[in-house]
Amino acid sequence: MLEKLGEVLRKATDRIANAIFLDKNLVDSIVRDLQRALLEADVNVILVKQLTDKIKKSAVDERIKGIEKKEHLIKVLHDELLSLLGETKKLILQKENRIIFLGLYGAGKTTTIAKIGDYFAKRGNKVALIGLDVHRPAAKEQLQQLAEKNKLDCFVNFEEKNALRAWKKFKPQLKDYNLILVDTAGRHTLDKELVNEISTLSKEINPTESILVMPADIGQAAKKQAEEFKNILKITGVIITRMDSTAKGGGALTACAETKAPVYFITTGEKINDIEEFDPKSFLSRLLGMGDLQSLLEKIKSVTDEGKQEKLKKQMEEGRLSLDDVIEQVKSMNSLGGFEKIKSMIPGLGKAKIPENLLENQQAKITKWEHIAKSMTPEEKANPELLKKETSRISRVAKGAGVSASDMRSLLKQYDMLNEMIKSGSSMDINNSGMPSQKQMMKLAKKFGKVKKMRF
Amino acid sequence: MVMFKFLREKIKNWAEKISKHEEEKAEKEIDIEKLSKKADKIKKEVHLEPSLDKQLRGKTIGDSLRSLEEDEPKKEGFFERIKSKIQKVKISEKEFEIYSEELEMLLLENNVALEVSEKIIKELKEKVVGEEFLKKEIEGQIKENLRDIIEEILIEPFSIVDRIRGKTADQAKDPYVILFCGINGTGKTTTIAKIADHLKKNGISCALAASDTFRTAAIEQIKKHGEKLGIKVIAHEYGSDPAAVAFDAIKYAKRNFINCVLIDTAGRMHTAKNLIREIEKIAKVCKPDLKIFVGESITGNDIIEQVKSFDWALNIDGIVLTKADIDEKGGTALSVSYILKKPILYLGTGQEYNKIEVFDKHKFIEKLGL
Repeated sequence: MLEKLGEVLRKATDRIANAIFLDKNLVDSIVRDLQRALLEADVNVILVKQLTDKIKKSAVDERIKGIEKKEHLIKVLHDELLSLLGETKKLILQKENRIIFLGLYGAGKTTTIAKIGDYFAKRGNKVALIGLDVHRPAAKEQLQQLAEKNKLDCFVNFEEKNALRAWKKFKPQLKDYNLILVDTAGRHTLDKELVNEISTLSKEINPTESILVMPADIGQAAKKQAEEFKNILKITGVIITRMDSTAKGGGALTACAETKAPVYFITTGEKINDIEEFDPKSFLSRLLGMGDLQSLLEKIKSVTDEGKQEKLKKQMEEGRLSLDDVIEQVKSMNSLGGFEKIKSMIPGLGKAKIPENLLENQQAKITKWEHIAKSMTPEEKANPELLKKETSRISRVAKGAGVSASDMRSLLKQYDMLNEMIKSGSSMDINNSGMPSQKQMMKLAKKFGKVKKMRF
Repeated sequence: MVMFKFLREKIKNWAEKISKHEEEKAEKEIDIEKLSKKADKIKKEVHLEPSLDKQLRGKTIGDSLRSLEEDEPKKEGFFERIKSKIQKVKISEKEFEIYSEELEMLLLENNVALEVSEKIIKELKEKVVGEEFLKKEIEGQIKENLRDIIEEILIEPFSIVDRIRGKTADQAKDPYVILFCGINGTGKTTTIAKIADHLKKNGISCALAASDTFRTAAIEQIKKHGEKLGIKVIAHEYGSDPAAVAFDAIKYAKRNFINCVLIDTAGRMHTAKNLIREIEKIAKVCKPDLKIFVGESITGNDIIEQVKSFDWALNIDGIVLTKADIDEKGGTALSVSYILKKPILYLGTGQEYNKIEVFDKHKFIEKLGL
C-alpha cells in the first residue's frame, strides 16, 4: 500500500537533506519527481501545482534565521503534504447515535458498516445495523450475513420495498441501542429520485452523522463527488475504502480535505478489522516510512482479549509458554490484519526489504501450526522438548497433521525463540496497561527488521 | 449525457489558444517586418540615426502600428502582401513544450492517467513540431492530429453477439464462455446481468455461473438477477471452489444447448497474488472464449495497475467501463485503451438492465469535440 508514493517522498526528502547546495536544477528535478508522484496518486492537478509552486518558492526565496535552508524546505514539504491531507477529526460518539451511510454504487458501504459496527461494538457500544438498501439485489442479505458472522444485531425486512416504511417499522425496536448504523442504496447526486429518497429518510431518521463512503481509487472526479455529496446530502464525514492495493487514495483524501469533509476512517481490506481511524499525521509519517506505532497499539488493544492477556502475562512471568500459547499469540497477530499491515506500522520496517513471499508464506505456516498442535498430546503441547528428545514423535505428529517434518522443526524453532525471548530477562514483560511499552515495541521492531537472522 | 463535457471544452479552449497565440506571433512578425521596412524608408528620407531605428523596433506593436497607419495609409496593399506570406507558421519545439504542459494538465484534470497523457503528448509532438501550418488552419490541424492519436488509441469494439453466433453456429455443442474479472465493487455482477439481458434480447440463451463464492450475499445477488431475467444460475456453497462452479455451469450449458455462459467472479485486488492465481485457475479450467475486465470509469491512475495485473494473469480481451453516467471526464477510457490495446466493449450507464451502451468509438471522439 502506498509504497511507491512513499518512496518518492522519502527520496525527495533524502535528496534535499543530502544536498550540498540547493541549486535551481536540483530543486526543479525534485519538484518534477514530486509532481509525478502526486499526480499518479490522483491528487487534484491544481493542488499539485500549488504545492510544488510553494516548494519552489520557499526553496529560492524564503530564508529563516537559525534554520538551515534544507531543513526549512523539508519542513515546508512536510507541512504542505499535511495540509493536503486536512485536519484530524475523530468520530466521537454521543449518548445516542444514528449514523447514515451514503455513497456511490460499489464503494463498499455495506462492508464498511459491518466494520464500523464491529469496531464500536468492541469498544463497548450497543450497535444495531439497519438495512435500508431496497434497490440492489441481495443487499439486505449481505448485511444480515455480515452481522451474523460478527455477532451484531441487524434489522432487515425482505418484503419492504420502501426505505422509509422499513425504517418506521424498525424504529420502535431500536430504543436499547446507542449506535444505529443505517445502510442505504448506492446513489449519485445527479439522480433526483434517490436524492429525494435520502432527504425524506434523513428527515425521519434525523441522523447525528451522515457519512460518505468513497473508494480510494477514484480519480480526478473525487473533488466533484465530495463537493456534491457534501452540499446536496449534507455529509458530515467520510470513510475511504480500498486503501489496500496500489490505489493511493490521493484523489479521495485531498478532495475531502479541500471540501472540509473530515475523513474519519480508512479501510484496508476485506476482513472485518481492516479499518483504521484516519489521522493525517500518522498517515503521513507512515507514508514517509517513519512508521505508525500509535495505530498499531490501537489495533493490538482492539483484538487482544484481556483475560487471555492476563493468563499470558502470568505464564510469561513464570518463564515458560506452552505451544498452545505460542500459536495463540501468532494467531492474534494475524487478526491484527496480517503481517503485511503490521509491517507498515512498525517504524523502520516499512523501508526494510522483506522478500515478497516471506510474509505470505508465514501466514500459510501458521495454519499448518494449528494443525500440528491439534495432532499433539496435551503432554507434548506443554513440554515440546519431548519431541526433540524422542524424534519418533515428530514423524508421528507430522503424519497426523499432514505436514512435513521440516514444518514441525520450524515450529519448534519458533517456540524456542519465543521462550528464549522471555527468559532473556524481562524485556518482554508486559507493563501495567497490559500492553508492551513503546520501547519494547521498538525492540521488537528491530528484531523483525533483521529478518535474515530470524528464521521463522 | 454529461460525460466528457469537461474534456471537450478544455480541448477546444486549448486549441483555440494555440492558434490565437500563433496568430499574434505572426502579426508580431509582420509588424517587425513592417517596422524595419518603414524604418529603412524613414532612414533614407530623413537620415535618421541608427539608434533611433533600434528604438523604433523596440516600441510596442500597437504604437508603431498606429503611427505607421497614420503616416502612410495609402500603402496598405504592400503590407497586405507581406502579411499573407508570413501566414504560414511553424511550431518550434520550445513553443510546443509550453503548450504541451497545458495540454498535459488538462488531460490529467480529466482523469487520463499520467503515463498515458505523457505518451499522447509525445506522439502529438512528433506530429506537430516542425510542420508548417497555415495560420488559419492551425487550430483545426492540431485538433486533427490529436484526433488521429486518440483514434489510434481507441480500438474498434467487436460485437459479442456476432462472436457468440459465430462460435455456436460452427460447433453446435460448446457454449461460448465469458469470464468477468475486476477489483471489488466495480459492478461485475450488475454488468453480467445487463449483458445477459442484452444477449437474451438478441436471441442468445445464457447461463450464469456464481463463481463469486467469497463475498457475503454475492450468490443471492446473482440469483435474484437470474430470477428477474429468467436465466438459470449455477451456484454452489459459499467458500467452494469458484473454478468448479464455472465448470459445472459450462457442463450444464452443454447438456441443455445453451449458447453462452457468463462467469461472475469475486472482486479481487490486483495486489492479492493468491487471488490472482485463483482466477488464473478458473481461466485454466474453463478456457473462456472471452475475458472481460470490468472497471469503473471514475477510477484514476490506479486503473493502469489494475488492468496491467489482470492482463498479465489472464490476457484480457475486452473492457467494460461501469458508472459512466457519473463520469463527465472520460479520461479513464483513454487510459485503459492505451495500456491494454484492447477494445472497450460496453459502458454501464445506470442501475437498470437496459442501461448499457455499446461503446462507440466515433461518438466518443465526437463528444470530445475533435
